[in-house]
Amino acid sequence: MALLTVERLVKTFGDVRAVDGVGFQVDEGRCIALLGPNGAGKTTTIRMLTGLLRPTSGEIRMEGVAPGQDYRGWIGYLPQSPAFYGWMTGREYLIHAGRLCGLSAKEAARRSSELLERVGIGAAGKRRIAGYSGGMKQRLGLAQALIHRPKLLVLDEPVSALDPIGRREVMSLLGELKAETTVLFSTHVLHDAEELCDDVLIMRSGRIAVGGPLERIREQDRKPVLTLETEGDAGSRSWLEGWLRRLPDGIEASSRTASGVRLAARDLDAARSAVLRELAEADVRVAKLEIGQTTLEDLFMKAVGNP
Amino acid sequence: MRTWLVLFRKEWLELLRSYRLIWLPISFLVLGVSQPITAYFLPDILASSGGLPEDVVRSIPLPNASEVMAGSLQQFGTIGLLLLALSSMGAVSNERASGTAAMILVKPVSYLSFITAKWASILAISWLSFAAGYVASWYYTVTLFGSVGGPSVIAGLLYFGLWLSFVGTLALLFSSLLSSPAAAAFGSLALAALLQVAASSLPFEQPWNPGRLSQLAAGGLDAALSDGGSAWLTVAVTATAIAAALYLAARSLQGHSRS
Amino acid sequence: MENISDSQLLSLLIPVIVAELVLMVTALVVLVRAERTRGPKYMWALIILLGNLLGSIAFFIFGRRSD
Repeated sequence: MALLTVERLVKTFGDVRAVDGVGFQVDEGRCIALLGPNGAGKTTTIRMLTGLLRPTSGEIRMEGVAPGQDYRGWIGYLPQSPAFYGWMTGREYLIHAGRLCGLSAKEAARRSSELLERVGIGAAGKRRIAGYSGGMKQRLGLAQALIHRPKLLVLDEPVSALDPIGRREVMSLLGELKAETTVLFSTHVLHDAEELCDDVLIMRSGRIAVGGPLERIREQDRKPVLTLETEGDAGSRSWLEGWLRRLPDGIEASSRTASGVRLAARDLDAARSAVLRELAEADVRVAKLEIGQTTLEDLFMKAVGNP
Repeated sequence: MRTWLVLFRKEWLELLRSYRLIWLPISFLVLGVSQPITAYFLPDILASSGGLPEDVVRSIPLPNASEVMAGSLQQFGTIGLLLLALSSMGAVSNERASGTAAMILVKPVSYLSFITAKWASILAISWLSFAAGYVASWYYTVTLFGSVGGPSVIAGLLYFGLWLSFVGTLALLFSSLLSSPAAAAFGSLALAALLQVAASSLPFEQPWNPGRLSQLAAGGLDAALSDGGSAWLTVAVTATAIAAALYLAARSLQGHSRS
Repeated sequence: MENISDSQLLSLLIPVIVAELVLMVTALVVLVRAERTRGPKYMWALIILLGNLLGSIAFFIFGRRSD
């Protein structure tokens, strides 16, 4: 059942169409990743979902909420860099947030203690937020988003500002949370999306380039791929340069580095013999040649339009 | 209503934790007391500084009690107003720039509640500070210069309090329209000064002008400062303007709050 | 206007001085306990001590940095 339905969502800033006709559904209980490079329109989309930004046109519907009615109480939101009142303690902020969401004073206090422990900053709850580290603020941000048991948790780049350890910890926390509620989060890191989510929406310049269940996308667009790595000497490099310009039919380069290239092929056997013949003739110093299947990363790179 | 009280509690706590609840009333208190004291000691000060011949000093008339009270109001209207504008200039813009406003406005909170809770806290601190300074000024004036009529003192308190509330509301409005706190403070003070100058120097009557409020307050105390006009229209226009400013401030939050 | 004795005058001036002292002490306590200030702390200490009322007010308005 669709918890959230978004249709033909558009947001323009002056002449720029930051979000250009985005539509998708978030099914209850799923974890969905909004994936795309910086500037693809992820944050703008999310801010329209949370009601912070008014869409230029389009529709956002929440299951069980009449159109035009306030659905903010159903959503818990963690922005990219959460900001708090530095003069409050972590616990005070959580109680404040909880009471704003309609919890009673007693319930808010109980939830706050519970969530402080849950996100791992129980000991810091009585300290002023001004003294918190970035990782602690991110955890507090997660706690305040969860305070009223929202139906939909919306997270904007939840781990991108964290160091590797903080990242690991928040990711495993999110792993637990997705079992309890519906989660929508944005990221520009494919790996994070692959690790957590059931569905992906890949955005590119304001539109959804590819979207659907992760498994289906993986299956659907699976193609043979050849990975060629040379030793990177001058001869091999200039050969690579020239050869890429006269690639035989049915092979295309999906990404390349100075010394190597990934090739997507239509017919694997033909491609393999063509490449091997070419390598022998030109006497290339091959370091590695691997035959395999495209990964989600190839799809992602193709979808967001990098060479 | 419950949400509003939660928001107001937060604003009140912020007044306390930022020490505004201490330094603003004390500043107004000292400001209110300094007028009667300097007026009382002015002849002594002039005599001891030796700049003027003694008979000139002796011929300077001591002001009467009402004039001293009106003088205190003038202090509140300049320095006091400046302090209030400076202390509330970032009320909305700081929260927007830092992103704390966005964190609150994604919760089921109405924009008008968010603004009016801030407004109520600005009014609370303004009235508290002003009342402290005004009562102190009254006490010192009565002790040093003799009694002033009770009704005119109360009328002065109410008119001037309304004037401070009006300027405080302007500061809040500009703080939500402009991203720079300094610009908000300057804008509200400049507009207030403009209205005041217009009220006192333009040759036609302006019963609608909120800038008259400080004059109404002082005029009740010291008849020489009165312009003789009626007050009800001024009060009505000011109240309407305050309501309109609050509505505008709440509107400006929509769709512009930066993350 | 009736004349006032010196002791009466003193009793009128003392509350003002006490109010200013309270403000100054509060400002100094806040300054010492603050983690960060705008500009060096010793500078603000001088401003508060020498500028009495205005110095303390200036510190409260401009000197504190909260986030």
